[in-house]
Amino acid sequence: MKRQGPIILAFVVGMLMMIQFFTPNPFFLSLYNTVLDWKQVVLGCTFILGTWSLIRYHLTRIQRKQDNWRYSYVTLAGLGFMVLSAGIWKTTTGPYPWLFSNVQVPMQSTMFSLLAFYVASASYRAFRARTVHATLLLVAGALVMLGRVPIGAYFSGTVFGVEISLVEISDWMLNVPNLAAKRGIMIGVGLGTTATALKIILGIEQTYLGRTD
Amino acid sequence: MDRYEIWRFDGERGAAAFRISLPDTVGLMDYLESSPRVKMVVPGSEDSVQVSKMVAPGSRDTVYVSKVAEPDVEDSVYVDSRLSRDRQYQHLLVAHGGNLTLPYGLTAPESPRRQWIKYSTINILVAVAAFLASMLVLVTRARRGAKLFIRRIAGLEAVEEAVGRATEMGRPILYVPGLDPMDEVATVAAINILGQVAKKAGEYETRLVVPNRDPIVMAVAQQVVRESYSAVGKPYLYRQEDVFYVTYSQFGFAAAVAGLMMRDRPATNFFMGHFYAESLVLAETGNATGAIQIAGTDSDAQLPFFITACDYTLIGEELYAGSVYLSREPLLLGTLKAQDYAKVVIITAMLAGIVLSMINPGIAESFKSLFR
Amino acid sequence: MTFFERMMSIDRRIIFLFVALAVAIPLLRPLGFPVQVSEEVRSFHKEMAALEEGDIIMLTFDYEGDVMAELDPMAIAVLKDVFPRGVKVVALTTYAGGTGIAENHLREAAEVYGKTYGVDYVFLGYNPDWSGTILRLGESFKKTYPTDQYGKNTNDIPIMQEVETYDDIELICSIAGSALSEYWAIWAGGRYGVKVISGNTAIQAVLIYPYYQAGQIPGFLGGLKGAAEYEKLIDEPGMGIRGMDAQSIAHALMLVFILVGNIGYFFSRRAKREELRKG
Repeated sequence: MKRQGPIILAFVVGMLMMIQFFTPNPFFLSLYNTVLDWKQVVLGCTFILGTWSLIRYHLTRIQRKQDNWRYSYVTLAGLGFMVLSAGIWKTTTGPYPWLFSNVQVPMQSTMFSLLAFYVASASYRAFRARTVHATLLLVAGALVMLGRVPIGAYFSGTVFGVEISLVEISDWMLNVPNLAAKRGIMIGVGLGTTATALKIILGIEQTYLGRTD
Repeated sequence: MDRYEIWRFDGERGAAAFRISLPDTVGLMDYLESSPRVKMVVPGSEDSVQVSKMVAPGSRDTVYVSKVAEPDVEDSVYVDSRLSRDRQYQHLLVAHGGNLTLPYGLTAPESPRRQWIKYSTINILVAVAAFLASMLVLVTRARRGAKLFIRRIAGLEAVEEAVGRATEMGRPILYVPGLDPMDEVATVAAINILGQVAKKAGEYETRLVVPNRDPIVMAVAQQVVRESYSAVGKPYLYRQEDVFYVTYSQFGFAAAVAGLMMRDRPATNFFMGHFYAESLVLAETGNATGAIQIAGTDSDAQLPFFITACDYTLIGEELYAGSVYLSREPLLLGTLKAQDYAKVVIITAMLAGIVLSMINPGIAESFKSLFR
Repeated sequence: MTFFERMMSIDRRIIFLFVALAVAIPLLRPLGFPVQVSEEVRSFHKEMAALEEGDIIMLTFDYEGDVMAELDPMAIAVLKDVFPRGVKVVALTTYAGGTGIAENHLREAAEVYGKTYGVDYVFLGYNPDWSGTILRLGESFKKTYPTDQYGKNTNDIPIMQEVETYDDIELICSIAGSALSEYWAIWAGGRYGVKVISGNTAIQAVLIYPYYQAGQIPGFLGGLKGAAEYEKLIDEPGMGIRGMDAQSIAHALMLVFILVGNIGYFFSRRAKREELRKG
C-alpha cells in the first residue's frame, strides 16, 4: 500500500482535475477551488521547508568550517534581520522597505545587467562565419540586432528600385522564420507536456515520487 | 449546437442573419459557477452594436449590459453575469447608426440553467482521448516486446562521458533542475534525468551538488538522489547538504549558483528544466570555469544562450525524452512514440489547412474552427 | 599569437569595459535617435486608448527588482496613460519582490493625478501561488484576496464592489519579467475570456509573438524599446526613450566586436591554409 497509495491518489486527483476542465458542474468546480486553496496552503508550508534547508546548509558549513564558511554568517544574519524587521516594523515602514529598495533591488538589478556583458562576450565568441549555417546565423543576428533599435531606422534605402528597410526586415525575420521555428518547438513541448501529465496520472512515470527503478 | 438566429428588423427579414451564438451551451446558462451568467459572441458588424437585457416575460424595461461597440469586423464577446436562476431573460442586440437605434433581434425567454459539458472544450476532449488511446496501444505493444526506434540524442549520449570527466578530475558535478516548481513538466523531466545522472555519479562515486530554487523540488530531488545511490548499492554516498535550497529570487539564485561554480569549479554542469533570463549568467560562468556543460530546456527563448555557451543542448521535448532515452524503459518508450504519431497528425492537419485555404477559403475557415 | 588571432580572442574583460562605456555615455549624454513605433506597440496602445472613464483594468506587476530597468518604464507609462482618463486600476503582483515596486509606482502616480486609494485604485498585494491565483481570480476576486495588501477587507473597498470576476474588468495588463504574461493569456484569457495585453523584457518578448499573431495577446510592449514607443504614443517621454540611445550604441558595439572576430577568423584561416600549401 505504501507503494501503491501515492499512485492511486495521483490517478484519482489527476482524473478529477481533468474532468473539471470539461464540465462546469458545481461539484467539480468546488472541488477545483478546494484544490487551489490547498495548493496555496502547501506552497506556504514549503517556504518553511526551504528556509529550514537554507539554515541547516549554512550551519553545517559553519560547523565543519568549510571553505568561505564565514560568509554563511552573513547569509544567516541577513535572513534573520529581514524576518525580524518585517515582524517588528511591518513591511511598509522601518528598515524592511529601506533594505528592499537600497540593497535587494540594486543587487538584483546588478545581476540582471550582467546579461548585457555576457550577451556581448557570448555573441562575439559564437557569431563566427565558420560554416554556411553559422554565416546565416551571423547575418540574421546582425540584421535583427540593428533592426530592433532606433539606429536601425537609418539603414533603409532603395536597392535596384526596391525600397528596403532594416526595421521591416528585422520584423519579418522575427515574425516569419523565427515564429515558424518557435511554433514547431511549442507544438513538441505541448505534446510532451500532455504525455508527461498522462504518464503521471496513469502511474507510468513515478520518478517524481523519488523512485528511480 | 443551437444558435439564436437574430434577424434584422428592417424589412429585409431573412436577407441578412446576425447570430448571437452561445459558445458553451444552448441558451442562458451557468457558464461558470459563482453566479449564473450568459456569454454571447456577436459576429462582426458594420454597425455599432450593443447588447441589452429584458427581464421576461412581458417586461418593457431593458437594461444595457454592454457598452456601445464601435463598428468592427471582428467578433465581440459580451458577458452578462448579473442574472438570477429563478427569472427568465431575453437578450436583445441593438444597432446604433446616426440617430437611429435598430433592434436586430431577440432571444427566446429563458431561465439560466446548469450545463454539464463545456461545449467549447469538446475538441480538446476528443484530442486528449485520441492521444491517450494511442499512448495505451503503444505502451501495450512495448510491453509485449515490440522494438521501438528512438533516434540518437548527442546531449544524452554525452552524459556518461561528462560524469566520467568529473570523476577523473576529482571535482563535483553540478545539477540545476531549472527554476520552475514541481508542477511544471520541465521540472518533472529534469528530476527524471537527475535520477539517471545520480545513478552514474553513484557508480563512479563522484559528488553531485544540486542547488534548488523551489523547496518542493528540493525535497523530491533529495529523495531521487538518495534512491539512486541506493539503487547502485552506495547509499552511504548521499549527503543531504549537497541537495539544498538557495532562494526563490531568480537572480539571487543565479548569483549563488554562479558563485558556487567559481569557488567549487565543478567539472561538469547540467542545466535541465525551465530557465529564464538567468540562463546566460549560469552558462557563461560555467563556460568561463572550463566545465563541460549539458543543458536541456523547453524554454525556447533561452535555447540560443545555452547553445552558445554549452557543449550539448537538449531542445524542447528532447528534455522530456531524456529519462526515457537514458533508462530505455519500454513503457516510457511507448509514450514517446505516441508523441511522434500525434505530431504526424498535427503536421497533416496543418498541410490540409494550407491546401484548403488555397482551394476553398470557406471550407478552410470551417476546418480552422474545429481547432478553436 | 598573430595579430589576427588576437582579434579572434579578445579578453572578455575588455569587451565588458567597452559595453559599460557604450551604455553609460549615451545615458549621461542622450543622442536623440528617432523612435519608430512597431505594430505590436500600436496595438497595445489601441487597446489602452479604447478604455473609457470608469472602466476597470487589472495591472499585474509580475516582476522583481532585477528587471526594473526594463519594465518600470512600462508600468509607469501605463499609469500615466490610464489615471488621467479616469480608468480605475486593480493592481497585484505574483512576485514577493514586486510588492515594493508596485506600491511605489501606484503611490507616486496617485499623488500626481490626485487618485484616491480604494476608489480609483487598489493594490491587492502578493499571493505566493501564481498559477492558483490566476485561476482563482476567474472564480472570485474577493475569495482569492480576502484582504488587500494593507489588511483591509476587500468587501469594504469601494472599487472591489464592482469587481467579482474577470468579467468585470476590461483587460489585464501584465508587466512581466518571466513567462507570466503567457500564463495570464492561456489561463485567464483562454479559460475565462478576459483580454490580456502585456509588457515584457526583450528576451521574453520574443515568446509573445505567437500569442500576438494568434490574437491571444492583442498587443504588447517588448523590452525597453516597447516602453519607448509607448511613451512616444502617449506623449510622455520617460526612461524608455532615454534608454534607447544606450541600447542602440550597445547593439552597434556588439556588431563591431562580431565583425572584428570574423575578420580575425577569416585572415588567420587564410594564413593557415597558405602555410599548409607551402608545406
